[in-house]
Amino acid sequence: MKGIHRTHIHPARIVSALALFGLILAFGLLAGCGATTSDVADTGATTTGPSQGADTTAPAEAAAPAGGASGRLVIYSARNEPLVQPAIDAFMALNPDVEIALKTGKNGELANALAEERANPQADLFVTTELLTVQSLAADGVFAPYRSPAANAIPAELRGPDDLWTGITRRARVIMYNTELVTADEAPTSIFDLVDPKWKGQVAAADSTNGSMQAQVAALRVLLGEGPTLEWLEGLLANEVTFFGGHTDVRKAVGAGEFKIGLVNHYYYYLQQAEGSPVGIVFPDQGEAEIGLFTNATAAAVIAGSANPTAAQAFIDFLLSPEGQKLFAEANYEYPLLPGVALHPDVQPLDGLRQADVDVAAAALDLDATFTLIEKSGMQ
Amino acid sequence: MRRPPTAPHRRRLGHPWTRPPAAAAGPAVAALRTGARRPRPLRLANPRLTAAAGSVALAASVPLAYVAYRAATGGADVWAGLLQTRLLGLLVNTLALTVTVTAGAAALGISMAWLTERTDLPGRNLFRWLLALPLAIPAYIGAVIHLALLRPRSGYVPRAAEALFGRDIPLPSPVGFFGAAFVLALFTYPYVYLLSAAAFRSLHASLEEASRSFGRGTWATLRQVTLPSLRPGLTAGALLVALDVLAEYGTVAMLRYETFSSAIFVQLAGRYDREAAAILSGVLVTIAVVALWGERRYRRRARHTQMAGDWRPAPLHPLGRGRLPATLLVLGVCSLSFLVPVGMLVVWSGQALLDPAAQAEAFRSGSRGLWDFAWNSLWASGLAAVLAVALAVPVALLAARHPSRLSRAFSTMCQVGYALPGVVVALSLILLVNRYLPLLYATPLLVVLAYVVRHMPQAVRSAEAAFGQVSASMEEAARSLGHSPSRAFLHVTLRLALPGLLAGGALVFLTSLKELPATLLLRPAGFDTLAVRVWIWAGEGFYTRAAPAALLLVLAAAGPLYLLLRRNSLFRGPSGAPAPGTDRVTMERIGHP
Repeated sequence: MKGIHRTHIHPARIVSALALFGLILAFGLLAGCGATTSDVADTGATTTGPSQGADTTAPAEAAAPAGGASGRLVIYSARNEPLVQPAIDAFMALNPDVEIALKTGKNGELANALAEERANPQADLFVTTELLTVQSLAADGVFAPYRSPAANAIPAELRGPDDLWTGITRRARVIMYNTELVTADEAPTSIFDLVDPKWKGQVAAADSTNGSMQAQVAALRVLLGEGPTLEWLEGLLANEVTFFGGHTDVRKAVGAGEFKIGLVNHYYYYLQQAEGSPVGIVFPDQGEAEIGLFTNATAAAVIAGSANPTAAQAFIDFLLSPEGQKLFAEANYEYPLLPGVALHPDVQPLDGLRQADVDVAAAALDLDATFTLIEKSGMQ
Repeated sequence: MRRPPTAPHRRRLGHPWTRPPAAAAGPAVAALRTGARRPRPLRLANPRLTAAAGSVALAASVPLAYVAYRAATGGADVWAGLLQTRLLGLLVNTLALTVTVTAGAAALGISMAWLTERTDLPGRNLFRWLLALPLAIPAYIGAVIHLALLRPRSGYVPRAAEALFGRDIPLPSPVGFFGAAFVLALFTYPYVYLLSAAAFRSLHASLEEASRSFGRGTWATLRQVTLPSLRPGLTAGALLVALDVLAEYGTVAMLRYETFSSAIFVQLAGRYDREAAAILSGVLVTIAVVALWGERRYRRRARHTQMAGDWRPAPLHPLGRGRLPATLLVLGVCSLSFLVPVGMLVVWSGQALLDPAAQAEAFRSGSRGLWDFAWNSLWASGLAAVLAVALAVPVALLAARHPSRLSRAFSTMCQVGYALPGVVVALSLILLVNRYLPLLYATPLLVVLAYVVRHMPQAVRSAEAAFGQVSASMEEAARSLGHSPSRAFLHVTLRLALPGLLAGGALVFLTSLKELPATLLLRPAGFDTLAVRVWIWAGEGFYTRAAPAALLLVLAAAGPLYLLLRRNSLFRGPSGAPAPGTDRVTMERIGHP
């Protein structure tokens, strides 16, 4: 037995040497990565310093060649990939020197990542689908101020406090229905009709991880108070509304007739219609005593401590340029914010629609209360 | 008396039923056994090896310890809130799904194993392969196809039914509990199948003969004699299924059934309540640990000793008139779990290739192409496999050569990954790394690290088996013939153990390729793997776009799976008698998620 032990001391030593070597190698690798990361971070710090302090409104400066920006641009986008990729492609065509790394995810997921990374920023630009997230992140100091020259032309309430974020496009919360299963007369005209037992098991919506859904709950809470909002949520649950992970699922399900009715953003209706499905749209709550239509805006913001703020700013400039706005208006049926950019001919203009009177900033301040409300209702 | 050469190691793996009688064991075995039974006084057999193994074990158990710590120190109000609202429902949901899927997979796995191993089923050599291949398909890809086929009204099946009968045919809902249980059972049964097929194969003829000679019929023999002797393999397989279900995120999320895994993901992704996520993780890990512990206890009690001397295969049962239904049944299972999914992926990929718009989207996404995703998948999983095996070597060597309480403790510590679902690994790594190793944060290495933590147990078990199979006396002999210790180790022990180590690496590679939730949560911007692409595209309902990536993923996973199955004596020889013992080892190795 002793013999067995003695014979194996040496091979074991080799193994431990190997393991040590492996560890050293691993650390070497890490150190290597670390070096590059910190290099980038350093440059980031030096570039952000002046541009943040002195001149926040300056567009991409002359440092970069004609295209404007260069280097690696890391974008966190809560817009689904198909809804942001066209803009990225168009931007890259104009700025061939920029290499874009995209991470898409839910608003919450990316907001969490941004908050987690505050001391160690990884992204340069955040693109999102609603204003609650940017409002609360701005309050947490995640963003660096930037006012794109074009931003002067958009409504002031769609520019963040201290220019910490910029609105890009507007969208409305609507009801879509399958016209083979529901006639225009039958279709619900208010979001409160969705809790009517008549539609039990026939309604699809996005779940509580979806930013637009969260924003709607938050807005309702500000507008009506906790009680009625909770009642509405519980009513949806009691009515066996099916909650999907995203609106694409909802629109496809309604388009196919799997569900009669869906609660979506307006462009999902137009996208589904463009696929040839028999769908109709209702801009809800237009009656005299009703709350009016909820709208929300997509937004973009430069991350504080970004390694490449020039490219991030150039990207925002592009999103607010006539080209960028046209892209969202035409390919995705959104309401452009830049005056003079035409709405897609099929899309009903917002003028003449009764809009809900909600202060997004106020709603954002109580984001936690909104989540508590959602938890309390038991919504998925 | 012929004794299988691998006896000592088999005993250590915890399958005492194949253990040779003590009298037949050689001196080395006897020595090992006394060492294992009577704890030695704490004396470090080899300080450096012990230190290396100890550091690996310590590092491997950090994530679990951290999650446990976070859960335990979670605010009382958060605990109370969760208890009131979610905990009970999640517990019921998770346990119901785990028990149902495990039972379903066990029934499916055993019946398929019995039909292909113990009966004269036509085409059984082909079926043996087909029944094992679903391991190459991640369950969430199965769920995508399941949904595409069965979605009410828009699915292929309801549409075909409508076209055929001219009206809506009410079909069961493809989502929720039953949908998730169905899909998961379909893609996890191979664990049970492989382990029980091995057991059926190494079954001794005389057992059943004796049973018959005492007047038991076929069924009574099966129930009272054959199945009980399968117990160790069966429980091991069932455990793997249960752990897989506990860890599953993609399938339950897609089929809208909420379990702990998906709830943790939502806490992390939707609301970012890390405290709540840590508490839910703590509960989930506790369930997994209880499952692991229960299986060990159960296996230890269920000892079946088999004299390995005059082994001969048990004769096959003639199916007789049952031949056709049995064949159809096996074919049905193969179709649902492998042929249909792969067929759908091929058709969709074909459509993607034919449609220029879809083709452009499928093969390029921004500046990244499909090959980038494939490359990311391959190198991240490959690096994880290499690291896991390298780290497993000191632990396994210590456990194999110097069995003691300490070395077994190290080995157990390295196995905690089994109890750590991907979301939990991601949670602990996000918190730990960003706080203590910020340089590593948001690099692909973090994803690799998650794979290593999660899949380390497979490497450790394989390496222990591999070193256990190499008798210490062989290295001794090499040294007595004048080789230096290092040369003796490298050229004898390591060389002989290499196939086993590689098999462990192949397993880590295979499971890392399929990993989804940790990759989703930890990937840096621009680092998409095939699994991530499939998930994003399928989540948007772009099935044709997702299909080429899914097909590539399945193909990449089929490579290592093929190697593992080839190593397995299950597929050696015509209908062949397996070398007793080797079966079980390889099965153990294959069967780890």
